[in-house]
Amino acid sequence: METQTDSFVMQLVQIGETARLADLFERYHVPLFRYLLHLTGNHAVSEDLVQEVFFRVLKYSRSYDPDQSFAVWLYQMARNAHFDHMRKRRGEVPEEDAREMRSSQPMPEELFARKQDTLFLRKALQQLPEEKRDVLVLSRFQNLRYEEIARILECEVGTVKVRVYRALKQLRETFCELRGEKAL
Amino acid sequence: MNLEEMIPPYLAGQLTPTEKARFEAELSGNAALRAEVEHLREFWEALDTLPKEQPSAAMRARFYQKLNELTKTPQPKAPGWFSKWNLRPIQQFGLGLVLFTMGIFVGHAVDSSRVSLQIAQLHDEVRSMRQTVALSLLDRQSANARLEGVSWGSQVERPDREVSTALLTALNHDANVNVRLSSVDALEGLAGDPAIRSALVDSIPTQESPLVQIALIDALVQIHDTAASVELVKISRDPAYNPNVRQRAGWGIQKLQ
Repeated sequence: METQTDSFVMQLVQIGETARLADLFERYHVPLFRYLLHLTGNHAVSEDLVQEVFFRVLKYSRSYDPDQSFAVWLYQMARNAHFDHMRKRRGEVPEEDAREMRSSQPMPEELFARKQDTLFLRKALQQLPEEKRDVLVLSRFQNLRYEEIARILECEVGTVKVRVYRALKQLRETFCELRGEKAL
Repeated sequence: MNLEEMIPPYLAGQLTPTEKARFEAELSGNAALRAEVEHLREFWEALDTLPKEQPSAAMRARFYQKLNELTKTPQPKAPGWFSKWNLRPIQQFGLGLVLFTMGIFVGHAVDSSRVSLQIAQLHDEVRSMRQTVALSLLDRQSANARLEGVSWGSQVERPDREVSTALLTALNHDANVNVRLSSVDALEGLAGDPAIRSALVDSIPTQESPLVQIALIDALVQIHDTAASVELVKISRDPAYNPNVRQRAGWGIQKLQ
């Protein structure tokens, strides 16, 4: 059976078939959760934000233009939800994520080194300024075209390319610092 | 863009064929660039080692529970005027300033026969301030700012020609469909002016988005602009229009009869 396009499903939601929001949820909730997790670093907050984004999709469904990419519109909504969350929490202590990778189990040296690298990589990503982390996550983990990222961020494609390169360079530098090495 | 900035899109396979050919030609004769590509490639691929986190099953359950509740109960209506008191800091500041000024005026004038005159002046000042904010925001590059500008414009009582023209410009020329849709709502509130009603009708054929066209038809029905029927008949018969728009035009004709 042919899969209905996001745009088509969204038009059904627009005319009142609210239950069809589930189709879009099934397609996007995992990548959206991962995107928000990279931005917030917190599982519980990211899950709450995913819910928030989908119910904003419903609330603002009328403003969706079927000629535009649904993914772009959804990620714009997710960025706004994250921005609102950050604004509300400004001045509060950052949320700790109970699931942060910790282990006291002894493990082989190579495995330990790999785990350490993964941990450093996560930390380096979290330490990137938000603007750089955002563009890097969108380009590296979300399978979005640069043109789509440019529409999400409301900037030129050339700007996205520049920002991704700078973000990647800074990530590498931070990673090397965490490992106690000098970046090339 | 310099060559190094082409490395991430090269690694992600997002360069156009021309860009890719140019980059690879450069790569073959540039050892430093080659080294940088290899180093960043290693790092780019290392990002794949990050765990692919999964949301909990509870999140899915919560979503479906809420969706079920929503599908069983009627959808809430669009926010009314009261919900607009959920203001942004700049608006809160502006409103606070206005209320403070109003308090001073009222305090000084309470025993005076000039109270009503001063309140009228204050009213004009608020109106003028809203117009200024609306015009300033409508001119901004960010779509969100322009959306806010439309919202401010819709709050101005008896706006000057400058504001209604800015709203019409937003309706007809703004690149963002959300801004155009909001402009329809704002202009619907100014439909007492025959020139605005006529501009709403004229706007339909110029719009690319069927959503905006439908919103315009809905607005014309809402204000009961019987003069729009002629245009709606044309639209309902014109195969160049989106079928949903033609259908909506047909509905509009019936409503206006």
